[in-house]
Amino acid sequence: MQADCRTIQERLLEANGDTGSLDAADLRHLEGCAGCRAMAAAERGLERLFERAAPPADPALVERVMAAVSPLRKRRLLAALLPVAASALLALLGAAMMGGVPGGSLLAQLPVASSQAWLTLASAASDWGVAMTAAAGAARLALPPALLVAAVVAALVGLGLIVAATRRWLPVAPWHRGD
Amino acid sequence: MTQPTPQPSDELLVELALAGNQAAFGALVRRYQRRLTAFLGQIVGDMELARELSQEAFIRAWGALDRYDPQYRFSTWLFRIAHNLGIDQLRRRRLSTVSLVRQDAEGEEVELAVVDASKDPLGHFENRELAEAMRAAIAGLRSEYRELVLLRHFAGLSYQDIADLKGMPLGTVKNKLFRAHSVLRRALQEYL
Repeated sequence: MQADCRTIQERLLEANGDTGSLDAADLRHLEGCAGCRAMAAAERGLERLFERAAPPADPALVERVMAAVSPLRKRRLLAALLPVAASALLALLGAAMMGGVPGGSLLAQLPVASSQAWLTLASAASDWGVAMTAAAGAARLALPPALLVAAVVAALVGLGLIVAATRRWLPVAPWHRGD
Repeated sequence: MTQPTPQPSDELLVELALAGNQAAFGALVRRYQRRLTAFLGQIVGDMELARELSQEAFIRAWGALDRYDPQYRFSTWLFRIAHNLGIDQLRRRRLSTVSLVRQDAEGEEVELAVVDASKDPLGHFENRELAEAMRAAIAGLRSEYRELVLLRHFAGLSYQDIADLKGMPLGTVKNKLFRAHSVLRRALQEYL
């Protein structure tokens, strides 16, 4: 076999024997080379055999796959919801540490026990609205600046994660049927 | 004359499937099921098992779709999943059965195919003689050639896809397929 033959036969092989993919120089070679022409014809024959070797389509297989995929979609929904919930929790924690919600002021006071804050909170606990205001004030009194900054960062990170997680979750949300 | 409607690309269908569109994933399943089953049928030598593995491959693909890297073609990724499933299945089977091997002309070991007619991957061929010849030709290839032939002609992957999937240089894929085809053309000469 000439060097040209090998190159051209490699091209023919990649094209499953189709000579339409050859350039003018290769086609000229093909005209004068019985070996390469025979190889191209044999490759076309081989390709026809391989095409016949694929089994007929099986609609039942498609149905089975799609039936199995539906519950998986629900699982993906749950899996996608977890980061949303975790992010919300983180944002809530950050907000709580800043005294944004009443219960959070308790958390805020854990590191630095302030009797003044405890008293303020206890006296206002019976009323939700008062408690919110009291808690915010208590947190401001009780939190050292570094912790306050940490709380702000935690809240911002939490909010950012909520946005990111929600973007991932939306496509599998129950109302997004998509089919 | 009406123009045929262009088929949506795999990439578009994957994108839609990722956005929760199950119908788009269904289109991918319909598009690849024949090739995937044919490919797995040749690997495991059992069409019933090949259908089960195809189903499993599609389900795994769906489950891992959000981890699919679009820099590779979807078909390459899907056939990698199927290939791994097929190989796992063969390994499990080899643990419980005795392998039948013989040596080919070049001294390489080739596995002998033992075919149950009802599960024959080429059972749909009307010409039984041709089916037998094809089976013998494919089974007679050295395993490294056979795998590439299956990926090329049953999975329908491009040379580049095969090189990506196997982690082989493109030139090696070309060279091995060139040799494999020389063997196949000789073995199937009277049917070409």
